[in-house]
Amino acid sequence: MTIPGFILRNALRNKRRMVLTVLSVTLSLFLFCTLQTALRELTNPATSEDAALRVVVRHKVSLGNVLPEKYQSKIGRVPGVLYCSKFTWFGGTYIDEKNFFPQFGCEADKLFQIFTESRIDSKQLEDFIRERTACVVGIKTMERFGWRIGDKITLVGTLWPVDLELTIRGVYYEGIDETNLFFHHDYMDELMGKKGLVGTFWIRAASAEAIPGMIRQIDALFKNTDAETKTETERAFQLGFVSMFGNIKMLIGSISTVIVFTMILVTASTMSMAIRERSRELAILKAVGFDGKQVFGLILAESFGLAMVGGLLGCFGAWALFSNVDIYKLSQGFFIKFDVTPHIISYGLLIAAVLGVSSCIVPALASIRTSVVEGLKTLD
Amino acid sequence: MAVPLRYNARNLIVRWRSTLATVLGIALVVAVYVMVMALERGLRNTYVTTGDENNLLVLRRGSTSETSSQVTHNDHRRIKYLDGIARNDRGEPMASAEIIILIYLDRVDQSGGANVLLRGMGPMGLELRPKIKLVEGRMVRPGMHECVVSKKIAARFANCRVGDTFRAGKFFWKVVGIFDASKTAFDSEIWVDADEAREAFNRDFYGSVLIRPVDDAIGSLLAQRESWSKKLKELKEADRDATAAKLAEVEQAIGRTLVGRIEADRQLQVRVLSERSYYEEQTRTGMPIWIMGWFLSTIMSIGAAFSAMNTMYAAIGRRTREIGTLRVLGFKRREIYACFMLESILIAVVGGIVGCLLSLPLNGIATGTFSWTTFSEVAFEFRITPELLGKGMVFALVMGVVGALLPARLAARKPVLDALRAV
Repeated sequence: MTIPGFILRNALRNKRRMVLTVLSVTLSLFLFCTLQTALRELTNPATSEDAALRVVVRHKVSLGNVLPEKYQSKIGRVPGVLYCSKFTWFGGTYIDEKNFFPQFGCEADKLFQIFTESRIDSKQLEDFIRERTACVVGIKTMERFGWRIGDKITLVGTLWPVDLELTIRGVYYEGIDETNLFFHHDYMDELMGKKGLVGTFWIRAASAEAIPGMIRQIDALFKNTDAETKTETERAFQLGFVSMFGNIKMLIGSISTVIVFTMILVTASTMSMAIRERSRELAILKAVGFDGKQVFGLILAESFGLAMVGGLLGCFGAWALFSNVDIYKLSQGFFIKFDVTPHIISYGLLIAAVLGVSSCIVPALASIRTSVVEGLKTLD
Repeated sequence: MAVPLRYNARNLIVRWRSTLATVLGIALVVAVYVMVMALERGLRNTYVTTGDENNLLVLRRGSTSETSSQVTHNDHRRIKYLDGIARNDRGEPMASAEIIILIYLDRVDQSGGANVLLRGMGPMGLELRPKIKLVEGRMVRPGMHECVVSKKIAARFANCRVGDTFRAGKFFWKVVGIFDASKTAFDSEIWVDADEAREAFNRDFYGSVLIRPVDDAIGSLLAQRESWSKKLKELKEADRDATAAKLAEVEQAIGRTLVGRIEADRQLQVRVLSERSYYEEQTRTGMPIWIMGWFLSTIMSIGAAFSAMNTMYAAIGRRTREIGTLRVLGFKRREIYACFMLESILIAVVGGIVGCLLSLPLNGIATGTFSWTTFSEVAFEFRITPELLGKGMVFALVMGVVGALLPARLAARKPVLDALRAV
């Protein structure tokens, strides 16, 4: 019998125990990966290289306050501003409040100049730009409601006192959050009686170097007016949202820690059970000439192997599950992508490895230290 | 005769290592369950206790929240002097025009900031909310740019103690008092005078009007209307008739009250809700936490049940000879089964108690989360109730029973002779 064969036989000698141990490691690492993915999704908004060139201007008091439309021409003249579009959150209801998805009023011709990483058919884009009541929708939301191009939808205003009647003229992919809907800002403004109110302005800067100066200049333009502005990069703007979630991050973090700890405890206890009941065999191994190091190696390999099998099942199980299940639909729009990233998987596997090593150390050392005679004497 | 419990207890103590690991495993699952659910309970409790059942909230027709509603100055005057609005002991109508403005404040510990609700209210605002008490300083005087803040805000955000000033909109606001909102959603608010707030933020309109009707029955009528119309939406076309009839009946009753007069008034494009149900509706903020709680504890408990199973199998494997002996002494198969089941339950109960004890220190600790309804931070406390602890214990018991089902059966079925022969 070869050494690997011997280890395998030993691991399989009590199949029930092996299965239960592997399964509890699997479940724990599955949970760990799920939590880490959720945490990442909540705290780490999707960004790309293009995002580094985007800047947002909002009211200094908070997002709940609006800016006058006339700011746009002044912002447009600031050096470094390539494109600037009005951008207003509509927050309307589509049939039922449960069907929540983000809707924004914007300037159709500038939208895809600012969000350059999104793809849209050029014919569809033309249609969108030409028609006042047209809108474009991200593929996720299209699929969620089974919409097709040409469909007419009504969004009932909750934040604004108007209802929008829109025709879907295009679908976009990637880039901007694929759940958004964009319509003409002018259409909404017209319905409200040309009040000229804008939620935010989104800017595409000519270069990353120009941004710090640009931000200072824009905020200085409107200092001491009725509506002072706060200008920040897209990243800072998104992180502002994250900070509002408060200590959810800490909560999920501490739950993950508790899970890992529980898992180590339970597996260590099972491993030590498996080793203690073998004290006599280990003594025989030593008696026939294996030295302490070799015996330790045998135990370590077995424990490490079990933990890794569980780890692989758990991490890749989470990956396989979440990449085949439509989390966006399932969570009713709360989570969008839910990608189990290679980073999270490798973190999970690292934990499995540490678990495999640490859980066998104490019982293995104990049984190695027992003399051959002592070991042979034990009955159970 | 059953196998004495002492036999189980002693066994557990002899193999204390695996007992301890299983107990801790179960304890941690119970603790996580109780903690996450306590979070959801706290949040729910905040909203449920906020609304006063005697108050009514008037919003613009079609709007779902105070932040997005608009009510004009004239609407307010018209509503305020209607018949059927209660008056206080000085004879003034109990109505307060209010406006909600989101402002962004920095936290005390400089870990970023959050949106906070600034509520502008009329002079009657405090009187309409009897649960809320000033604990420091005094109420605001109109025209002085003063504000009062809740105890929780004072503790969590910078420049919010009595005597401090902070800037929001056109003005610097001076904090002149601190109120204790006794764990309601007002714990996350700053209060100022309504007209000053409108001036500071260039608002033409109020957001809502809070009124107290003379007739106490209106609140319950409105609650009935809410629940019937919600039910109606969920029913299929064919089954709607009975519910629709009941709804119409309630509508008619409402029509004869103050609410009916307000809603029928063509000059007022408003709807009336009971303040209580308005806030109860917001409990859905806690939904993601609730789902997370169930998801986590279900998966973790399966893991813990596996570990309990492992422990029991090992215990039984090592005691094969003992089982044989017990059988020879005359104990029946089902007594052996009960004996091992009991042993597992014993572990689970101890684990459950330890888990509950572990979670208890969290009770009453304040935290905050983001509410999508108001777009601001809502402060609340972990709330551990006896019922929740009970559920935690049930959870533990289930883990214990499930963990012992198969091993105990194995033990009970062992043939006597084989068992005795085992080494």
